[in-house]
Amino acid sequence: MDDKKRAILAEIPRLRRYARALLHDREAADDLVQDSLERALSRLDSWRSGGSPQRWLLTIMHNLFIDHKRRMVRHREVRPLSQDVADSIVSPPTQFESVVSREVFEALQAIAPERREALLLVAVEGFTYAEAASVLGIPTGTVMSRIARAREELRASLDDAARRRTIRVVEK
Amino acid sequence: MTNREFSESDIHLALDGEMPVEERSAFERWLEIHPDMQARSHRFATDRDRLCETLAGILDESVPPRLSGVPLVPEEGVKGPPRFFWRALAAVAILIVGGLGGFIAGRVHWGVPLSGETVADRAIAAHVLYAAEKRHVVEVGADQKDHLVDWLSKSIGVHLITPDFSGAGFELMGGRLLPSAHRPAAQFMYQNRSGARVSLYVVGDPGSRETSFHLLEEDGARAFYWLDNGRGYAVAGAVSENTLLTLANLAYTQLAFSETK
Repeated sequence: MDDKKRAILAEIPRLRRYARALLHDREAADDLVQDSLERALSRLDSWRSGGSPQRWLLTIMHNLFIDHKRRMVRHREVRPLSQDVADSIVSPPTQFESVVSREVFEALQAIAPERREALLLVAVEGFTYAEAASVLGIPTGTVMSRIARAREELRASLDDAARRRTIRVVEK
Repeated sequence: MTNREFSESDIHLALDGEMPVEERSAFERWLEIHPDMQARSHRFATDRDRLCETLAGILDESVPPRLSGVPLVPEEGVKGPPRFFWRALAAVAILIVGGLGGFIAGRVHWGVPLSGETVADRAIAAHVLYAAEKRHVVEVGADQKDHLVDWLSKSIGVHLITPDFSGAGFELMGGRLLPSAHRPAAQFMYQNRSGARVSLYVVGDPGSRETSFHLLEEDGARAFYWLDNGRGYAVAGAVSENTLLTLANLAYTQLAFSETK
């Protein structure tokens, strides 16, 4: 039991990275991690020993993330501004993120959530298509097509951001 | 060795380590004789590296105690809406106190901003209706901007400006007067070079309370909306959340400044 818990806790940094890439907002991302950890610890039996704790945990996180998205759409709930964006309205940009890394986070948010997940699992977490497919509960071929589109969208957003940055520099 | 034909999707297979080893050298040769595909492959690899570098720093952050201290056996299973759902809602209050506190000091009212959602709902409905128009998108065009602003300001009883969205690539097309829940509302329509349209919706709403930004999504469009200084605002469009947020930020800062005049 303790071994399992230790293995789970050792995954926290990577879970936080995945959640932050999904949601950008730091507090919301850590909430998602905490919800995932609590759900995981209440269902330790569903983790087959020997299996990768990361894949098991990310599957849990994926399901919570999807539940969340679905609830938002169904109930037409309003979503407030993420804190960092809110800060940017009334105060100078915080030093936590450089302009360049902010561009990456914003470009990620511009990718549809299901494609964002596929890209992150493979390109950042290093999963194979088959592993990503099992986390997301979709066919392997779908993983590939989602990644291809996600890459196009990421590239377009980053190009856009670079162009805007250039315009700003020129205007100065 | 392999003689199979390669295509663009192989770029992804190669990049993601999904291409069989025996095909790799043939693929490399294929890239060499297809410079456009090589450039594409290179660009995707660069993007991936940038993505990984940006996210790598998160691994080195110290783990917040609330995560490292998650109990081994929780008292109850996780029930109801997840925590981060509530947190997202609570962020509204945090924003009012922390974010806008200095800006609207002394004018904060507590309560449920019900009318904000109505403003957003009307803004989206009006946007969906008029943005789809080919010839009658606006009632008064941007070529008569002074007249437009004067007319709408008088009609809705609010000193208006047309925020400048050109930094985000959107130019004013014009505007129109609309009915909205027993009071008049103004709509300014903007368009970018690729033809995407967004609109700013303003209603004078004396009974309302200040709120932070909220997002409402429906009918394939979305709106960021906020109430400020007795006015309700919404920026609506079928564009990405980020684009819309950029525009809402521009509108917010420019309108807030104009209100002080």
